[in-house]
Amino acid sequence: MKPSDGNNNPNRSVNDAPLVSLRQVGKNYATPAGRFTALQNIDLDIQAGEFVALVGKSGSGKSTLLNLMSGIDRPSQGEVRVGGAELHQMSETGLARWRGLHVGVVFQFFQLLPTLTVVENVMLPMDFCHVRAPRQRRERALELLKLVGIVEQAEKLPATLSGGQQQRAAIARALANEPPLIIADEPTGNLDTGTAEAVLDLFRNLVGRGTTLVIATHERNLAGIDRTVELVDGKIANSARIPTAQLTQEVLA
Amino acid sequence: MTSSWSKVWRDFRQERTRTFFVGLTIGLGIAAFFAVMASYAILTRELNHGWLETNPASATLRTRPLDDNLLAAISGSPGVQDAEARRTLAGRIKSGPVEWRNLTLFVVKDFARLRVSTLKPQEGAWPPATGEILLERDAVQVAKARLGDWVTIKTASGGEQKLRFSGTVKDVGQAQARMETSVYGYITLATLEQLGEELFFDQVKLVVSGNKLDEGHIRDVTANLRQLIEAKGNQVLRVEIPEPGKHPHADLMGLFLLVMASFGLFALLLSGILVVNLMTALMAAQIRQIGVMKALGGTRWQIARIYLGQALLLGITAVLGALPVGLWGSRVLCRYFAVFLNFDITSFAVPLWVYVLVTVVGLLVPLLAAGFPVWRGCGVPVRIALDDYGVGRTSFGTSPFDRVLAGLGGLTRPVLLAIRNSFRHRTRTILTTTTLMLAGLCFMAALNVRASLINTFDHLFDAMRYDLTVQLGGMYDFEKVQSAIRKTPGVLQVEGWLATEGSLIEGQQPGADDAHPAHHLPPQTGPGGGHGGSALEAKRFKVIGLPVGTKLFQPLLLNGRRLQPGDTNALVVNTRMAAYWPLLKVGDEVQLQIGPVATSWQVVGIIRDPLAGPTAYIPLSFFEQAGHVGMTNSLRLVLSESNANGLNLLKANLDRNLEEVAVRSLNSVSKLDSRVSFDQHMLMIYIFLLVMAGILAGVGSLGLATTMSLNVSERRREMGVLRAMGATPAVVWLIVIAEGLVMAMASWLVAVLLSWPISQLLGSFLLRLMFKIGLDFRFDPVGPVLWLVLAIGLGAVASFLPAWQASRRSVREAVEYE
Repeated sequence: MKPSDGNNNPNRSVNDAPLVSLRQVGKNYATPAGRFTALQNIDLDIQAGEFVALVGKSGSGKSTLLNLMSGIDRPSQGEVRVGGAELHQMSETGLARWRGLHVGVVFQFFQLLPTLTVVENVMLPMDFCHVRAPRQRRERALELLKLVGIVEQAEKLPATLSGGQQQRAAIARALANEPPLIIADEPTGNLDTGTAEAVLDLFRNLVGRGTTLVIATHERNLAGIDRTVELVDGKIANSARIPTAQLTQEVLA
Repeated sequence: MTSSWSKVWRDFRQERTRTFFVGLTIGLGIAAFFAVMASYAILTRELNHGWLETNPASATLRTRPLDDNLLAAISGSPGVQDAEARRTLAGRIKSGPVEWRNLTLFVVKDFARLRVSTLKPQEGAWPPATGEILLERDAVQVAKARLGDWVTIKTASGGEQKLRFSGTVKDVGQAQARMETSVYGYITLATLEQLGEELFFDQVKLVVSGNKLDEGHIRDVTANLRQLIEAKGNQVLRVEIPEPGKHPHADLMGLFLLVMASFGLFALLLSGILVVNLMTALMAAQIRQIGVMKALGGTRWQIARIYLGQALLLGITAVLGALPVGLWGSRVLCRYFAVFLNFDITSFAVPLWVYVLVTVVGLLVPLLAAGFPVWRGCGVPVRIALDDYGVGRTSFGTSPFDRVLAGLGGLTRPVLLAIRNSFRHRTRTILTTTTLMLAGLCFMAALNVRASLINTFDHLFDAMRYDLTVQLGGMYDFEKVQSAIRKTPGVLQVEGWLATEGSLIEGQQPGADDAHPAHHLPPQTGPGGGHGGSALEAKRFKVIGLPVGTKLFQPLLLNGRRLQPGDTNALVVNTRMAAYWPLLKVGDEVQLQIGPVATSWQVVGIIRDPLAGPTAYIPLSFFEQAGHVGMTNSLRLVLSESNANGLNLLKANLDRNLEEVAVRSLNSVSKLDSRVSFDQHMLMIYIFLLVMAGILAGVGSLGLATTMSLNVSERRREMGVLRAMGATPAVVWLIVIAEGLVMAMASWLVAVLLSWPISQLLGSFLLRLMFKIGLDFRFDPVGPVLWLVLAIGLGAVASFLPAWQASRRSVREAVEYE
């Protein structure tokens, strides 16, 4: 399959090499019931600044594909390159360091560490990657919490926050090290409609600032998406660009 | 504080109940270890300090009666810094009308100018006036005398004389009088005259100049002195050189403390097992968080540091909590040892190195224990960690063992559930059961070793088929002695033996090592009688001539044969002698110096007789051929009753009847007294074993409590499901309690099986160490029964809190738990 790509965002440069590039990627799992193929023959390019939605049914391979792009998992076959880094060749420690600096991950169930306050959760990636001086990390975390609109919750423990607030905190945490790529797995799957819309607004803002965003979702018609990649049984069934006309004025502003 | 350290601290606090249990367990181990190490440091310092303060004699030379000129010559000899004349006599003392006690009487020339092996006045008079006696402070209880009392003294040559007990002294060099059931008394030469004894000194206590800690130097000095003394017409009968600078009991104490420290460390290492359990459970519960942290860029090492930080905090808390407890424990232990070894402790200050060592060990144990589970937990690939469902992630059902468990029937469903639940986390179950099993093992081993030691000593004492040993003040006609005994009611049988000393002639001492007297050995209570051990210093040993066909002494024959009628130059040695001359074997020809005569002997047998000092048994006919026909100096009596009251009365009657025929008895030791004294020595070992078993039981039950708490918390949702299906809180409670009991019972079963061989090994090791003999093993059936009750009790108690918490949780709360 020819690599699918897209370019509807005016903030990204069309001629640049793709930020994410997957070639003939496959992923198999050994299960008690036998070998299970989660992905096969995936070729996919994502340009810097693009907002891509991976869609498909449960078990179609969306999360697996996100895991491979973020270095959370390794391919069984093929090559995964992100920002020039060859993830399929990196060690576990190397991958962890790379991930901390180059990818922000947002989970469906937020996955804030329950014993850390919200601001400490946001500081954690900076601690791990030694980004900024220790004294500046809190300032940066508070800035990000302000950006996502929950700075007043900074000193609270995650359990005391609503689902939407927790997801905003998780997004702030994903942005802590200013990664060029944000990966989000069903980020609105556990939120009510209003809160989900607010989270998507946040994402659109981020894309507007030049961040590349890849989300896995069940919803096909999300506003502000550059491209939709549909997965069926571990294969890319369709890669559709969204016409520029459909982009909201807010995103283009 | 970085967010990583915030997590360390908050997770630590969040897990406070379990952390408390594990911390308590580690703390218990650290406290035990600290108590023993601190005691070791304090006791070693204080014992040797107190010992050196007395300016202990570098050597003691036993001679014929000394005069002032010879003493002056010795004092002025090269290499001698100081020398003093002394005398030691055996005798008897009583404070009431009946009960005589054995007495060792020390005669001091000038109490006011004591310089060598000094005494420390405690209460009352100092120095004692003529007609007064001072008693060693611990011996006062043995003598049953009060300060100011008049006590009756009888020595070998003198009659009964009354002396006033006017004061007490501390004599650091003497073993605890209560343990020896013997009295130490101190008198002047003038008082000795009152007792009717000849006035002379027969020993020189000297301190060498130059290097006092150099044994070779001391030997050189004493060799020169021997020449000097013999050149002046006297004779050196014996030279005693204790290990320089070291209290006679230092090695014994060091040995005990070493064993105790090993147990303390063992308890600490066992508590490490709980850390493994805690951290394994924690890592399992936090696997998703680990995945998230990895997704955020945390490396394995960075994340491992967070959890190792928790283990470190656990160690710090345990160390901080354990130090005061250990400090208190060390004081209790030190006081006990100080009384046992008869010395004072002037300072309980614990040296810095003990704090450092215990702190390092206390921090390292939880860190090392946590190391593997943490490193393994943090090594889980990030995708698998993120996919983990936490609760319910179990492989139960896939192994053949699971299928065997699944095939169990005939029990109620909750009980079956409890049994199967016990084996869901097999590593955890094995570790917990092992801890509890070791506690049970130690407990049963303690009882078995005690029973076996008692059994062995029963056999050893049974070999002495007499009730009373009487040492006479000299050699007497046995006929005359028998006439006195016939007049004494209660005596069924008597044998007259002859006891003296002998030595192997130079070149005939295979493997001899007599550099240090066997101070650590218990009192000599065997047929040789008296207080043994000291004869060893000059390669001398006791030689006992006994009727060849005697039925009163039937020790176990280890090798060769017993003495037989017709034997003339046959010699049977006891285990002590064989231990000190390890190359001596049956069939050897040896040259013995007995009195002035050197004779040739053949070793025909080795007997198990560890309670006496090194002793050679020969036919009584040897002495008869030497001209002592029908003579005796040592009696063995079989009595019709051997209780304490009857014995005292019989001893009094016997003394009177012997005196009527002009036979002087020097001292008498009943088998009963010897046994009591012996059991006193062993009591410390029994108590020690039980205390260690108690500590391990504490560690084991806390471990079980931790495991049950982990199991319950991981199965909250399952409990909710059970409740949703109609299980009452009582049923949930029952399931958890039963699970704890299954583990307790499993530990009990393994402990019972292992306790047999382990007890045998431990008991044999102790006996070989102390008496160089084998163990007559006996399995104490009380142990398994008692430990079963204890294990069930501990299992129930340890499971109670988790069970109670589980049964009180609401269904909604339990089902929602992730």
